[in-house]
Amino acid sequence: MRLSAKSLERRFSIERLYLLVRNRLYDEAPTLLIGAAIVAGLNALSLVLAKTAFFNIVSAETPNGAFWTLAIVLGGLFLAGASLKGMHDGRGQTDWLLLPATSVEKYAAALVDVVVVFPLIAAAAGVALSALLALVEVLIGGPGNPIWLPGMGELKAWGGFAVAATVFIAGSSAFRKAPFLKTGGIVLGFAFVFALALALLVAQFVYGGWENGISFMNGRFYSGSDEIVSESAVRAMQAAFDIAVYAFLPVLAVLFGAAKVSEKEAKDEVQ
Amino acid sequence: MVRIESLVFGYAAKPVIDGLGLRLERGRAYGLLGLNGAGKTSLLKLIAGALRPRSGRIEVWGRDPSGRGAAALADIAFVPEDPWLPALTSAAYLERFAAFRPSFDIKRFEELRRELDIVDPKPVSKLSYGQRKKFALAAALASGAGTILLDEPTNGLDIPSKMQFRKVLASSISEDRVILVSTHQVRDLENLIDPVLIVDSGMLAFEIESEAIGAKLGSTRATSLSGLEVVHAERDALGWNALVARRGAGTSAMPADIEMLFNAALAKPERLAAVLADAALTPYPVEGSEK
Repeated sequence: MRLSAKSLERRFSIERLYLLVRNRLYDEAPTLLIGAAIVAGLNALSLVLAKTAFFNIVSAETPNGAFWTLAIVLGGLFLAGASLKGMHDGRGQTDWLLLPATSVEKYAAALVDVVVVFPLIAAAAGVALSALLALVEVLIGGPGNPIWLPGMGELKAWGGFAVAATVFIAGSSAFRKAPFLKTGGIVLGFAFVFALALALLVAQFVYGGWENGISFMNGRFYSGSDEIVSESAVRAMQAAFDIAVYAFLPVLAVLFGAAKVSEKEAKDEVQ
Repeated sequence: MVRIESLVFGYAAKPVIDGLGLRLERGRAYGLLGLNGAGKTSLLKLIAGALRPRSGRIEVWGRDPSGRGAAALADIAFVPEDPWLPALTSAAYLERFAAFRPSFDIKRFEELRRELDIVDPKPVSKLSYGQRKKFALAAALASGAGTILLDEPTNGLDIPSKMQFRKVLASSISEDRVILVSTHQVRDLENLIDPVLIVDSGMLAFEIESEAIGAKLGSTRATSLSGLEVVHAERDALGWNALVARRGAGTSAMPADIEMLFNAALAKPERLAAVLADAALTPYPVEGSEK
């Protein structure tokens, strides 16, 4: 596919976005295949040792697809953490910056790739691999666990993944070295500070002190065995938290990351 | 064409480029000369859009490259001194990257590859430094870009490759593009680059047309400088190597050596400027008693 001269004048071109996503998939294909091979290998080992593919196991602790979902989410977050490494690469950076596509398109390509395309491809590959493992399991006389098929639970998990992915992509735009670890560290740090601040505020202003300590379990605040915050107040807090995490956080992360890509210059190379 | 006005750029507080102004016209291959750290590579990157100026203005064929719009980027091809190539075959490279440039001429690229004797290993990242450089040059010259920026293009090329490069570059100069070549290897390109741009202290110190160089300056070897209108002279084991004014006693001088011209621009800028302006020269100041 070649772009038309007319498309160059557009600030945002779907054709360019397609080419950028396609190029990303070409680059990522070997890594994704290695990831799939690792999953297949681990399950092959469990087939040999216990006659069961452990990713397909269904129990009270591991609902159907828990391992598959976890593997895809973790794989996607690693991918998100490395999604913009090209713009920090000492030698390839100039080529990355000067590839004839706008900064917005380059950033959008990372988002589309990680948030949409990767989960779809990974889920399809997961279903196929799950079916293959289930077949082998039956053939070798195993228990015959069900094939994993993504459903509403996975769709909900995808929502959380999409938010986290935007944060890790933003981290990839900001950090040159170890972006996944640094972004994960910052997220955990913020979560800890937020939880601590919330607990102190609740203790001080709702309960009137923290001499007896407070705890938060199953969506309720307690001091000893007394519930100290009403159910409606907890619901309001939860709603505020959801708006912050599912609406403001991804928007801020996308704006931050896009700005970092836009302002990037080829200064990392030795001058 | 490229227009630069009052350009200021630096990596630290002190600017590398400080108020530079320049105008590059279509159909010409400009040579950019300057000391190490003079800001030549930075200037090329600024024109390409990979760096952004602190202040001032750059316009490339009517567009601001620092905005990195797709049209502006597609109309500029920058070949760095040590080009990076991905771990792809030549065909895969073209499929992935030429697709973003509607004017990329794949037939021309293949011609250039043959002319430059570029081998086709798999992948292109495994090519030697010189081969990578030639591959990147071929891709730039076939890109259809109106502005070609080459950073030290002959560094690392063997002698036959330099000859091939000169031939290819000469055939690539056309009215619909402007070429800017930053180089220290001026002798590799002295019959190709015109005019010569010399940057010093963050400014454009000289812009000299080859016609003016040929008409007004010459090089000569002499045991004594007396009787010569010397712009700049350097002593070596055999006597003096001098850049002289062609008028008067310098008429029979050899064509001006571009390296000497560059040295003169930095060491004796006022004398060079005087000769280019057809003004009289004061006697050449010779240190010690060599005169």
